[in-house]
Amino acid sequence: MVNMISPKEMYEKILKDEKTIIIDLRSPEKFNTQRIEGKENLSVFNIYYAEMLNTGEIDKDMLDYIKNNFSNKFSKEQEIYTVCDVGETAKIFAKNLVESGYKAYCIEGGMKNWYRFYDYRPVVESPEISIYQISRVSRGDLSWVIISEGQATIIDPLRHVDEYINFVKEKNAEIKFVLDTHIHADHISGGSEISRRLNVPYYFHPYDGIHPVDVLFGKVQYNYLKDGDVFKLGKADIKVIHAPGHTLGQVVFLVNDKYLFTGDSIFIQSVARPDLGGKGDTWAPIHAETLYKLITTLPDSTLILPAHFSKPIEANEKGLYVEELGKLKVTNEALAYLLQKGKDEFVKYLLSSLPHFPKEYVEIKRVNIELIEVDEQRAEELETGKNICALSQVYA
Amino acid sequence: MNYDILVDARGLSCPLPIVRTKQELNKAPSGKIIKVIATDKGSIKDFQGFANLDKNIELLKQETEKDENGQEVYIHYILKK
Repeated sequence: MVNMISPKEMYEKILKDEKTIIIDLRSPEKFNTQRIEGKENLSVFNIYYAEMLNTGEIDKDMLDYIKNNFSNKFSKEQEIYTVCDVGETAKIFAKNLVESGYKAYCIEGGMKNWYRFYDYRPVVESPEISIYQISRVSRGDLSWVIISEGQATIIDPLRHVDEYINFVKEKNAEIKFVLDTHIHADHISGGSEISRRLNVPYYFHPYDGIHPVDVLFGKVQYNYLKDGDVFKLGKADIKVIHAPGHTLGQVVFLVNDKYLFTGDSIFIQSVARPDLGGKGDTWAPIHAETLYKLITTLPDSTLILPAHFSKPIEANEKGLYVEELGKLKVTNEALAYLLQKGKDEFVKYLLSSLPHFPKEYVEIKRVNIELIEVDEQRAEELETGKNICALSQVYA
Repeated sequence: MNYDILVDARGLSCPLPIVRTKQELNKAPSGKIIKVIATDKGSIKDFQGFANLDKNIELLKQETEKDENGQEVYIHYILKK
């Protein structure tokens, strides 16, 4: 009998920042590509299971390994969670840990399940408007559902579209249209798929309908957004503000003059990078202009709801990656710098803070405007690892 | 490619293909080549990781083929040094 923990329960522990130990049994290559991340009190150790193999009798080898290596490293009072690729090795290891006197649990379905896991939580629930955060935790991707008077829209849906369709159905609402703040580079959008399945319009800004590197028009069916458009959704007014910089067609949505869905412009700890279209030098000043305008014209009480987070430490006590603009002007390193030093210095800051540019990102944009099609396996490969859409400081 | 020992790991999932191979490696004299046939796609990266770890083996070659039932199989040739 092995104790199991679901990804959802694991994530709750991570958000609560309880003292937690995870032992990841995958190869160092896989571990270094992506691992479970937490706040201050999560310790993740990589012990490659193949390293334990000696006689080739797996239970015996694991028991020996635990006996020889664990007593001075881990306490028998401490809960230990084990993880591997798909869950089998971690199950065997957890069983042997328990047999050795440790409190061990296996994370159900391994990293495969963890990558696929979506987290749901409400930002606000009222008769006038309800907003929900739907997050693919392993990637740091955030999407948002707005519901008002039984009508719903989704902002920046990810490609596992049943997550959204089922969620909205459970809330007894109907998806009226789908919105993308921009054409994403780090993940495959679910916008077009939801639009096809439910026969509802899919909107993004036409500047993003052209691939920035290939300079080709996409084949995706969509409707144009433009600056100043207002969508009515029950009692919600969704106002479109063009906010170019991360992409030329990037927009933000201001809902009921209070909630600002920033896509890839303002994040909680940083801002979006301006170089994923391959023209960082040209786009950085545009980005600086946009960000400056947003943060100096919108009231401090505006709630920022971005499309990404970098680390769970950015979540508030409710597990939400949201914060008021006024607070971010102080705590967000990039925004504070912009306000202090001005736009010209900020452009230099942007260009000196660019992380590695994953080569998959050019291809993902092709998929998102349907210049090419990929199967599930390729989609998974393209979406390996966490998003790298913010500046590099927050990853340090 | 020639080989000396065959490990049929078809139908087995992680960690068993590696475990079975390790058992054979323990028995084999040096210089022998082990051929592993697996149906678990994850075995491709698993054997790469295993070869990086164990300095007494070398991953000579990896191939993807269809077996007699038309199922995709992943073949790994490992030299015991």
